[in-house]
Amino acid sequence: MITDRVTFEQLLGISACLALAVVAHLTSLPVWIPVVVIACGLIRLALARNGRTSPPGWAVLILAGLSIPLLFVRFHTFNGLSAGTALLTLMAGLKLLETKTRRDIYIITLIIYFVSLAALLEGDSFWLLAYLIAVCWLTTATLLRLTSSGPAPDWRVSLRYGGRVLGQALPLALVFWLLFPRFAGPLWQIPADTRSAESGLSDTMSPGDITQLALSDDVAFRVRFAGAPPSSQEMYWRGPVLHDFDGHTWRRIDSIFANTQPLEGQGAAHKYTVEMEPHQHKWIFTLDWPVQWDLARAGLTSDYTLVQDSPLSRPIDVVATSYARVQFPDSLSANARRRDTRLSDRNPRTLQLAQELRSAHPDDMEFVSAVLAMFAQQPFYYTLSPPKLGADPVDEFLFDTKRGFCEHYASAFAALTRAAGIPARVVTGYQGGTPNPFADYWIVRQSDAHAWDEVWIGGRGWVRIDPTAAIAPQRVEGGLTDAANADDALASRWRRKSPWFADARLRLDYLREVWRERILDFDQDSQRKLLEMLQIPEPDGQKLVMVLAGAMFLVLCWLTWQVRRELDPLSKDSAVRAFGRLCAKLAAAGLPRLPHEGAEAYAARVARQRPDLAHAVTALCRQYSALRYAAPSTSVTLGQFEAAVRVFRPRSLPK
Amino acid sequence: MTVNRRRIYILPSRFGIMLAAILAAMLVAGLNYNSNLGLAFGFLMASMALVTMHHCNRNLQRLSVDVTTEIDAFAGREAVFEFALHNASSVDRRDIEVRCMLGVGMGSVAANENESITVVVPVAQRGLTRVKQFELRTRYPFGWFYSWTYVQQLLTVYIAPAPSGTRILPSQGAQGSGSHSEKRGDEDFSGLRAYEPGVPLKHMAWKVLARGGEAAVRSYSSLAAQPEWLDFSALEGLDVEARLSQLCLWVLESDAAQRPYGLRIPGKEIAPSGGAAHRFACLRALAAHGVAETAA
Repeated sequence: MITDRVTFEQLLGISACLALAVVAHLTSLPVWIPVVVIACGLIRLALARNGRTSPPGWAVLILAGLSIPLLFVRFHTFNGLSAGTALLTLMAGLKLLETKTRRDIYIITLIIYFVSLAALLEGDSFWLLAYLIAVCWLTTATLLRLTSSGPAPDWRVSLRYGGRVLGQALPLALVFWLLFPRFAGPLWQIPADTRSAESGLSDTMSPGDITQLALSDDVAFRVRFAGAPPSSQEMYWRGPVLHDFDGHTWRRIDSIFANTQPLEGQGAAHKYTVEMEPHQHKWIFTLDWPVQWDLARAGLTSDYTLVQDSPLSRPIDVVATSYARVQFPDSLSANARRRDTRLSDRNPRTLQLAQELRSAHPDDMEFVSAVLAMFAQQPFYYTLSPPKLGADPVDEFLFDTKRGFCEHYASAFAALTRAAGIPARVVTGYQGGTPNPFADYWIVRQSDAHAWDEVWIGGRGWVRIDPTAAIAPQRVEGGLTDAANADDALASRWRRKSPWFADARLRLDYLREVWRERILDFDQDSQRKLLEMLQIPEPDGQKLVMVLAGAMFLVLCWLTWQVRRELDPLSKDSAVRAFGRLCAKLAAAGLPRLPHEGAEAYAARVARQRPDLAHAVTALCRQYSALRYAAPSTSVTLGQFEAAVRVFRPRSLPK
Repeated sequence: MTVNRRRIYILPSRFGIMLAAILAAMLVAGLNYNSNLGLAFGFLMASMALVTMHHCNRNLQRLSVDVTTEIDAFAGREAVFEFALHNASSVDRRDIEVRCMLGVGMGSVAANENESITVVVPVAQRGLTRVKQFELRTRYPFGWFYSWTYVQQLLTVYIAPAPSGTRILPSQGAQGSGSHSEKRGDEDFSGLRAYEPGVPLKHMAWKVLARGGEAAVRSYSSLAAQPEWLDFSALEGLDVEARLSQLCLWVLESDAAQRPYGLRIPGKEIAPSGGAAHRFACLRALAAHGVAETAA
């Protein structure tokens, strides 16, 4: 009997698949959508359990009429990834509620497939891909149970068949993925999703900002050096430069996208690739001072930070060249000097201290040294949990608490030098990094975030001063957390203290890096390299398509063979193969089968020549003959014969 | 008859076309978002569709099917086709549809198994229907494609007239309503004749069989002696179809009562006899009377 009505078991399967697909979006969907979808599924299942069909059409219509406008209010559009996903998910839930026939379930499977894809457009982890392929497998197995006439087979049977189809699809998918031509840019502008949060450094700095980052293990970026890397102490990764100071917070001046000419480098250059993680800001971290980069849409701001024209929403790689020393212009423009010496009238005690020091040290560089000496000699502590500061934070830090983190020292130092009339600015970025011993790259984490200063010294230009280094030299040498106060979270301390864990973490990071480089960043260039590896001269798009066609042809031939092969009666082929293995074993023992010999004759000859093997070989050959030529219901099964051949080990006689 | 792979056709189903649209959307989305993982997923789905195409096609390949070529039915009732499917491979064939005339039957054949699929088609008109081919079709495994093949096989459906009528048999009219079977006794036993299918078991000559002889049937003199002629021309005052229906009823009654009977219709005369083969011959003669063959 062919029936089109869905059963409870089919509903249960499809509900589970939909729920699993929604899980992949759990963090990005408004909370009420998964709730509505799951409620729809549960209601429908409860109805089916009691032998009832779907609720009346008007009920579903009312639910749709309520929820879809709600969705529009939330997103203001149905265009774009998150709004589209939310709408599709909701529709799948409503469809589930009104499911009557198999056709409805077919529609839901299509939505599941597309929603799974949508999750992959946002996420980029291996586990997400694996999870969604598993969801797709399960959904396909559910589909298998829909089309069946009569009672559905066991779940394991469906899963095995679905898995087999999936497995056979893998080589073809790989060919497609490797060779399908990629485009340089998007086909059209991607609707902006403002949902992804900014991460890492921001363009302001108040006391406590960087301290928050210090506990984060997230990777900010990775770096590969083309030559020898600079020493870890010299790795200052330049980020946003802050000029405006209101006595409490440092801010970036709203510098528009700038086309500042790079400075002329002196001495040794470092060439490296920065592999940025998306952080939703425009800046790209480079070593001081960047002079060259391979990103067309990027330029230098007037304070020499490399910025892109749009926020980084995807991981990108930038090849850049930096010099540790550059040739600065002779003098600072009046505008810049005014900007970088401006101070608010807060922090009066700081201003006074600067005046006193200045009268003792009229030379700019001497003044700087005097401030650093003060940090070194007075009981200034370097801590991740400094006391809270009030209205005049620099005053309180310098004279009362004397405990702070890099942003406190950078801020106080810049305030003091500005008060002395020396142009100074705060540079935020990262300092140092961890080399991965399992691969040739450095990892820079959020916990490496740092703030330092640059002061303008006449005749030398901008000079980098790291006041934090003055109080805790080990901070620059050993990384931030060693110097950090013991207050940090127990768990992360434990993690850092057990070397095997650190090891495993680095290995894992290496895998992540390979994943990123090989899979996520696979593009036109990689395809060109692939064709070059295949010895194809002057690879271009046309040749790529030809190779794709050729490879597809081969894979499809393989597939046809693979699918047809399963049609052959099992007993014949496998028995012949097993007998072949038996002959090979005997040949290795010095008893090759002659071309004209049948199984029985061969057994007889072996029995004559090697009486010790006679019993086993005669039995095996008889089994083979029975399998091959007798009726299907012989006493020995193919599996038994194969197993017997497997364990048969003839010893060769000593010559 | 074994299905040859050259004659298996395949097309995407409506659901398959929807899937293709979704796959195209996946490809565009993956390219637009420059998402290699999205593309990987989309390509995997597309490859699964291609693999499924092969599996759908394979579901019919090398499937053997046997069918009775002559089917008897009565007008207004159903013709029942029995298709014997044989799967000589190590793969299960699931959800095989057999479509013949307007009927559909469905079943699955496990690996190295046989399965019989019945297709029931209602037939309204008396006559002779020749079916030149029937169709095997499958949407397995995922319903994205349907694959089908035509098996060229001439099937003849003899649709006898619907048995009906109020006239009584001429001989019974003469003798009253007495029944031969009641009078039959051992004294009527006149000898043995060869066994033919359809003879009631109680008439079997079991002793002969037990002695190792040929299967034989006892025949009775009272039956053999008075053959009944079922005559078209005797039914005056009725139109052709009504006459045929009446004759059909008589054939069935006579057969059930084990009376020998002959059939006489214009252009055809079947000598009196009994048994299943005789009954079928008569019914087919009634079915074929005066009609051009219709092909379906």
